[in-house]
Amino acid sequence: MDDEIRVFAEGRPEAPPYGAEARARARERLLTQARSGGGRFRVPPLGWQAAAAFGVTVVLVGGVAVALSNQGAGPGPATSATQSAEVTPGELHPRPGQFIMVESETMYGSFTMGADGKEASRHLYRSHRKIWQSVDGSASGLLMMEGREPRPWPGEELPEAEKTGWQGTSWDTLAACPGRLGEYRTDYAYLSTLPADPAALRERLYRLGGKGGDRDFSALDHARSMLTETYLPRAQRQALFEAIKTIPGVRAKQGVEDAAGREGVALARPGGERGVENQLIFDPETFMYLGEREEVVAEGAAAPKGSILALTAQLSVSVVDRLPEEAAQAQGDASCMPESEVSAGAPPQSPAPGTPTATASPATASPAPDAPTETASPAPHAPTEIASPAPDMPTETASPAPGAPTASAVPESADADMPTAGPVPTVTD
Amino acid sequence: MPDTLDDSTLIARSIGAPESFAALFDRHADEIHRYAARRLGGELADDVTGEVFLVAFRGRARYDPSWPDARPWLYGIATKVVSQHRRAERRRTAAMARVSVERPGTFDDRSADRVTAEQLQPRLARALTRLSAAERDLLLLVAWADLTYEEAALALGVPVGTVRSRLHRLRVKVRRALGGTDPFAEEPQHG
Repeated sequence: MDDEIRVFAEGRPEAPPYGAEARARARERLLTQARSGGGRFRVPPLGWQAAAAFGVTVVLVGGVAVALSNQGAGPGPATSATQSAEVTPGELHPRPGQFIMVESETMYGSFTMGADGKEASRHLYRSHRKIWQSVDGSASGLLMMEGREPRPWPGEELPEAEKTGWQGTSWDTLAACPGRLGEYRTDYAYLSTLPADPAALRERLYRLGGKGGDRDFSALDHARSMLTETYLPRAQRQALFEAIKTIPGVRAKQGVEDAAGREGVALARPGGERGVENQLIFDPETFMYLGEREEVVAEGAAAPKGSILALTAQLSVSVVDRLPEEAAQAQGDASCMPESEVSAGAPPQSPAPGTPTATASPATASPAPDAPTETASPAPHAPTEIASPAPDMPTETASPAPGAPTASAVPESADADMPTAGPVPTVTD
Repeated sequence: MPDTLDDSTLIARSIGAPESFAALFDRHADEIHRYAARRLGGELADDVTGEVFLVAFRGRARYDPSWPDARPWLYGIATKVVSQHRRAERRRTAAMARVSVERPGTFDDRSADRVTAEQLQPRLARALTRLSAAERDLLLLVAWADLTYEEAALALGVPVGTVRSRLHRLRVKVRRALGGTDPFAEEPQHG
């Protein structure tokens, strides 16, 4: 350390200790927020139902309801020409400026810690989630979390404190922090540039999965972070599926059910903490990720053998033109505040020139009541300053999508990242 | 077991199980409080610490999973929250800078060629007032929070190169403010 800095280090003023009472109060406030699902309680506005009246084409992708907003239909001048010829039934073709919304049910173990840092109580925490993430990571996203009734830890009673207070819905802004995640990005624009070759993808899982410990587990865990609340083009989905299969210890199990009761093929690997087997469940036809499951497979583990400690289902993936109204009042996200003005407030709202995305087609399948699609609304704008180029949009889209990140980029760096809201690594020993 | 998980795993887990975030508080609250208290005093530090963890909690989905240690991230948030109390910090710094004036005997008492931290503080406080807010944030993250340059860069959301050049500039300013000599040595002018 340089002298001038050392002087300050040695001259640091006394710091009064954190008073026990104030500390407990702050901790409790945090826990209250956590128990309420992250924030405010708000009644879902009418906007939802209104949005559903407009055309949303719902198709089934291997049991996953995929709402196709503006796919090859409707008068959207910017898209119909390019996408109608390209549309593969059941595949989404998100464009920059749009958002991918993933809706899911989740159940994970929840552990509260005592002040000594030791586990004080545990139960299974459940929630219903919707997450909106910018297709190219350039705009802030949004996360809705709705509490679901918690379940006791297998073989135990539900802790008294968990019996109430789980209801409620929170809305949180997910700030875009361009450049922050680098190769850990999980936005569509980035994921669609990944190799469609299983061997290359496998190498990547190991490279980014982290060093030390159980590297096979880390690789698997990294794969999961790429799948959770994301959307990958089919080529990358299939390659990732094949890559995961080659991880030592992984085996395929047929007929594993996700939280929605849909059966799929699970790529399962034992070896996590608590004597569980981690199972990533896929649709065997489309390789869509259905959800994950954690099953206790060892005797004498933290829960009886055969019990389930985590279970999720990604119910639907849709492409929408903009965030729902709640975005305006969502909790801010200051997690990438420093020198990043975009992160502070609501997501961008100014219209994007040249990217109108009308969706006038009537629903051809059952309308998805939840799929928010505003019609003829200008997409959130793609920022115009250019820094470094972002990865191209998927190559199967014949002509460049308007406003693709190659043509415009985000203010600070086009290496935009989006929240890895999903990855809930269950285990890293 | 959860208390051995690294921060980034804990944070990722807290996406699905928000209450696990309390473990992050248990781990780092004292340290963040200490930092806030040095900058703002104990009373404000209580508020700041609570606020830092609430902000962090709401933003946990944005956490960069490639950093196993959450301290730089938390210090970054703390820096931002502290900056909302600039006036309080200025008052505090000004008060610290005055101490030597109010106790003129302080430097006379010194017997060795080294002053104590307490005696040094007024001079450091005066030096601090010559720094820009960004320079002060950086200096104190490195000097008081013991962050490495890389961690400070992460906390402040700037490239490491920016940290280095900013440090260079502020060192020059500090040296000038401290009289161009080793402040631990005898002070040549008054005393």
